[in-house]
Amino acid sequence: MQNVVTYLMIFFTALIMQGQTDSEVNTAAQPTKYQQGMRKAFQLWQENKSWEAANVFERIAVAEPDNWLPPYYVAQINVINSFTEKDGTKLKAQLDKAQDFINDATAISKENPDLLVLQAQLYTAWIVYDGQQYGMTYSAKASELYSKALALAPDNPRIILAKAEWDMGGAKYFGQSVEPYCKDIQRAIDLFATFKPAGEFYPTYGEERAKQIQAESCN
Amino acid sequence: MKISVSAFLLFIFPSILLSQNLVSGTVLDNKGIPVLGANVYLEGTYDGSTSEENGKFSFETSETGTQTLTISYVSFEPFTLVDDVSKMKNLKITLREDVNSLETVTISAGSFSAGDNSKISVLKPLDIVTTASALGDFVGALQTLPGTTTVAEDGRLFVRGGDAGETQIFIDGIRVFTPYSPTTNNVPTRGRYSPFLFDGITFSTGGYSAEYGQALSSVLLLNTIDEPTQEKTDIGIMSVGGALGHTEKWDKSSLSINASYINLAPYTALLPDRNDWQKPFETASGEAVFRQKIGDGLLKLYGAFDTSDFELTQEDINQPEGTRFKLNNQNFYTNASYTKMLENDWTFFGGGSYTFGKTKVGIDEANIKDIENSAHLKLKLKKRFSNRFKLNFGAEQFLTDFNEDYDEPNFAAQLGYNNNISAAFTEADIIFSRKFALKLGIRGEYSELFKEFTVSPRVSFAYKTGKSSQFSLAYGDFFQQPESEVLKFSNNLETQHTQHYIMNYQYSANNRIFRAEVYRKQYTNLVTYNDEFPDINTTFTNNGDGFAQGLDLFWRDNETLKNIDYWVSYSYLDTERKYKNYPFEATPSFANTHNLSVVGKYWINDWKSQIGFSYQYGSGRTYTDLNKPGFLQDKTRDYNSVSLNWAYLLSQQKILYVSVNNVFAFKNVNGYQYANAPDVNGNFARRELLPAADQFFFVGFFWTISDDGKDNQLDNL
Repeated sequence: MQNVVTYLMIFFTALIMQGQTDSEVNTAAQPTKYQQGMRKAFQLWQENKSWEAANVFERIAVAEPDNWLPPYYVAQINVINSFTEKDGTKLKAQLDKAQDFINDATAISKENPDLLVLQAQLYTAWIVYDGQQYGMTYSAKASELYSKALALAPDNPRIILAKAEWDMGGAKYFGQSVEPYCKDIQRAIDLFATFKPAGEFYPTYGEERAKQIQAESCN
Repeated sequence: MKISVSAFLLFIFPSILLSQNLVSGTVLDNKGIPVLGANVYLEGTYDGSTSEENGKFSFETSETGTQTLTISYVSFEPFTLVDDVSKMKNLKITLREDVNSLETVTISAGSFSAGDNSKISVLKPLDIVTTASALGDFVGALQTLPGTTTVAEDGRLFVRGGDAGETQIFIDGIRVFTPYSPTTNNVPTRGRYSPFLFDGITFSTGGYSAEYGQALSSVLLLNTIDEPTQEKTDIGIMSVGGALGHTEKWDKSSLSINASYINLAPYTALLPDRNDWQKPFETASGEAVFRQKIGDGLLKLYGAFDTSDFELTQEDINQPEGTRFKLNNQNFYTNASYTKMLENDWTFFGGGSYTFGKTKVGIDEANIKDIENSAHLKLKLKKRFSNRFKLNFGAEQFLTDFNEDYDEPNFAAQLGYNNNISAAFTEADIIFSRKFALKLGIRGEYSELFKEFTVSPRVSFAYKTGKSSQFSLAYGDFFQQPESEVLKFSNNLETQHTQHYIMNYQYSANNRIFRAEVYRKQYTNLVTYNDEFPDINTTFTNNGDGFAQGLDLFWRDNETLKNIDYWVSYSYLDTERKYKNYPFEATPSFANTHNLSVVGKYWINDWKSQIGFSYQYGSGRTYTDLNKPGFLQDKTRDYNSVSLNWAYLLSQQKILYVSVNNVFAFKNVNGYQYANAPDVNGNFARRELLPAADQFFFVGFFWTISDDGKDNQLDNL
């Protein structure tokens, strides 16, 4: 059975860390402690020091209990690093930690499509690790989360991309055409052109990934 | 403004800069090895750092006074130190391992887990339904695990020398009084409940928790799904009937219903078996689970109704025209449970079940009508003091009211009993370290019928011998009342008793699991009687006793061979007992010495197919040869069966499924029936007790309709 679910191997790895730091550094005023901290974290992340970045995000999360972004990034780093983790013990520890921080973030910001997508990616990490064990239950849960996220944010290009990519994985496995999803990818790319994040340090990733998928799977 | 004020202050009091405190130290793990990458910071400030390769950290802070220093690192418990910042220098901090980790020892003696809620699952959720010999019956899949005996004509679980009645089944912690559909001789029964409503199965072959009682040998714990993943409709069309399921979700609640209808008439018309069916087996069943979230609590309601009906004539050596047997059964089971997280890490659980069973059986001229009303109520509280110490305690009540009308042309009788049992239990889970864990429990039960109070201590402990291996020991006392077959005639008895001693070794790494378990079971107080079949004039006593001992081995490997997942179970069993009408201790006919199961699954990607294989071997079982002196002194020939199945994914949501049991049509003999009287030569004639059919064929088509277009019924097959 494990191969039924290897199709779920989402091919996203380090895609997420792009394009975070270039978000509006136009504040003429002295940066706040929060801005300094977040910038430092993104800088570490770009320098490939993701665990140190996670540590900084974690500190900020504890200091700023009403902001969902720091715990979101702690969880995201743990999830991304889990995709390449082969040691089950470490994997569980990382994903448990990620789950804790997703829970914290969700308590601050409910019905947040970015958190729903991250939760779906966490399930995907379990599926990639052991499809036979987690495939049946977690792939259904992930599907539901993508649908829910899209319903909450039908025009958010990142959410459109995430759902389309997930659906394409399934279609590819069953030898079905991925064509129906290419229009979603195109729509995401169009929307990315004018996409403005809701605020400083909000997630902005996805555009390059969308173009990459379009180049690889569409046309 | 703030900033300029501080800039101003800095300007005139440069000494403030000097008052920056340096926090420094070393982080070590519990073995004294420096930790790289630990997050060290003052809580609520932005000041902190990450420990380096040698475990050292240092950072400056402008904070003063009392602060909380936190050190967090994945798979260790967070460390906190509350002190004056100026004193946080050259600290030496040893982290405590987080026992809520995969590496922590688990108590594994006696129990097998299936599903993804446990650390080490022997069976995965899909296995329950993709095991070739199981035909979608979860009990069938469990019969491929060690500790079970192949009793092919029965279909129930026989565990470690115990008879089928010694295993109890619980749904969401609440007892199921009538778990199996009633059947007749040589036609195996099936579990009543659809595997598709459960997401966690724990099968314990001994030494189980003090929470469970009234089972001498084994418990099977089934948990219904807390929250279904999505709305969907399942349609199944099978060569033996049809099934329909639907799940509906709302904001805080959900409902799953499942209905099935089985009729073997077309099948037996096409492939006649050894029975002469007047009315082939027919059953209709419906199940529903409703779940409602109430704040932090979860309420689950489960209900199942089924009705079975059949009539046949079976061969009988003493009756040339055969024995007529007809059965009509209606069974209703409902179960409600409520779980709520309370403050301070308390958890409350309350639940109850009610069973109504009505069975009408006709054997030749006799008509028997049984009505059973049973209920189980349970309350449980759990307190988590820390990850390392948890306490469970609770109380429960079992109520059974059983009535039987026996009627034949020249005789009639009314039988029945009321059996109420009250019980209380408490159990502590103590994890000393990742290497060493202990579970201590005690259970007290009072039987109103016998006016008897029993106390059962239960202890198990586990020790980690290496990174992937561990060793466990378990001991327990178990009590169970005699079955209704006895209680309806006599209640001047005592409860039956066993003691389990179990030693287990487990190795688990890289998708491979090896388990070895040796055990000894001591039976006392078993019910004996002086007639071949008990009746109102029978004398019952508690003079029986016995033992069972053996070795169980299990190996599962999902790694070595590409796309092949397989497991092998072997059980060695040595058992003798004196019970029922046995003249002395003997090996019962449901026990055999060697049992072997090999189950394999091969995924063929290009065909989108899974091929399943299963081989069952059981050495011969005992029977009494009336032509020789002795009792249960002879053995049947060995049992062999090879089953194959094939699941083909037509598309993501459509599956075609074919299975054949006993492909090579081995002629298996379950036992012998001897004539009541010898023939002219003084010989007792005999006939073989054969299964109704040597082989069984099954074809099904399963279609799932869901919004996402992905889910399918692979997990139902």
